[in-house]
Amino acid sequence: MTETPTQADRDQGQSHRGCPVVHTDYTQETEVFGHYALLDPDREKSRFLFNDTTDRGFFMLQRYDDVREGFQQHATWTTAVRSALRPGSSNERLLPQDLNGQEHVKMRRILNQYFAPAAVRRMEEMATERCIELIEELKPKGADDFVAAFAIRYPTDLFLALLGLPVSDGEFFLEWSEDYFNSLLAGQPERAEESKKKIMDYFDRAVNERRENPLDPDVDMVSRLVTARIDDEPISQEDIRTICLTLMLAGLDTTRSALGFIFAHLASNPEDRRKIVEDPSIIPNAVEEFLRTFPLVIQAGREVQEPADFHGLELEQGDVVWLGVAQANRDPRKFPDPDKVVLDRAGANQHLAFGGGPHRCLGMHLARLELKVVLEEWHKRIPEYRIAEGTELRERGGQLTMTSLPLEWEV
Amino acid sequence: MYISIDEAKCMGHGRCYGVAPELLSDDVEGFVAQKGECWKVPDDLLGEAQDAADACPEGAIALLEQAPA
Repeated sequence: MTETPTQADRDQGQSHRGCPVVHTDYTQETEVFGHYALLDPDREKSRFLFNDTTDRGFFMLQRYDDVREGFQQHATWTTAVRSALRPGSSNERLLPQDLNGQEHVKMRRILNQYFAPAAVRRMEEMATERCIELIEELKPKGADDFVAAFAIRYPTDLFLALLGLPVSDGEFFLEWSEDYFNSLLAGQPERAEESKKKIMDYFDRAVNERRENPLDPDVDMVSRLVTARIDDEPISQEDIRTICLTLMLAGLDTTRSALGFIFAHLASNPEDRRKIVEDPSIIPNAVEEFLRTFPLVIQAGREVQEPADFHGLELEQGDVVWLGVAQANRDPRKFPDPDKVVLDRAGANQHLAFGGGPHRCLGMHLARLELKVVLEEWHKRIPEYRIAEGTELRERGGQLTMTSLPLEWEV
Repeated sequence: MYISIDEAKCMGHGRCYGVAPELLSDDVEGFVAQKGECWKVPDDLLGEAQDAADACPEGAIALLEQAPA
């Protein structure tokens, strides 16, 4: 159940250090697109809000200009808290995400080139081939759960390829990664630990194989990680494994979720679907518009390291800040008619779905490629599809995802 | 009109060279290859320059009437 402040609360003028208080719980499951319906009203209540639904609570920045500026505060608002909704999740190490300042910059500089547009262009042919294989496998069935049968398999395969691992390992790897992710979210640390061990052992073997038989470090990330030096020190095996795990956590669920939302929209909006089928050249801008409208990372968390006055919002050391990505993306001050998908919207790519500042999403260029390729290849082969009758689409809270999307098409 | 790119602010979003391919390009890490530079924009590319400046979420691109002193 989601609680919104009652009129009585507002009449009392509930405030926390002068900031209006809300109790909107963003961690609950809802009907599909339900979270955006909660985020918009909060943004319009007040420029800044304090949300008291977590142990520590968090100060919400919700408007485009504020959120954008919030990402620029990286010197003093750090990733010691990564999610305003789960400030305790920082016990699970992530790299390079947990680093800040120069330490972070140095590690990003090692990784950047494998995720840059130039590297992504090198992957495009393979990404397209794999996508076609998966679609052709599905097509004769005439119906399937798009999320399980395609949307998670595709990014998993590409993730393995990025690490220079066999795509066929996806068969067992997918099960581990799903189990790990779901256990983490369900707050079952023991089960998560079991899956994590399998994944980490697998990475160990892969990394050791590269130590024995290095490939060209200019194009092979793991070969670079085992030879790289930061301040004359090699990166430890534990850190390399953690980097691989972080890339997995960052790249799989996110792409799956984005694809789920995009296809849920297109299955229910035939006019948009036909625009894409008739003119695939609109796809790159459509991808940006989908990222703007359906961001699945609805917020980034930060922890304030020194007292600050942010446009009148008084922050103290240790405060948790919510950078409202999804609210910024649908801010009417920035985007006219913001809740409407406009495939050819001008300036769609100014969304903040990938964050900003030095921690901006490392995988953003790869993600864009994946979404573009899927939209192109799917609509060439299955131009007409619909959501299976009688389906009630649900959406997980926190980091949004659709748990399933049963689609049907003519064979 | 001059375009000036703040090297410290560029985070490699890739939006500027995406919307202004005649004016800007990407380096191997995905940053704009012209970061840290300032030069006069050819008249026919003023639109692209404006699009690039608007597209940068980091505010790394400035358009200036005068060459900086």
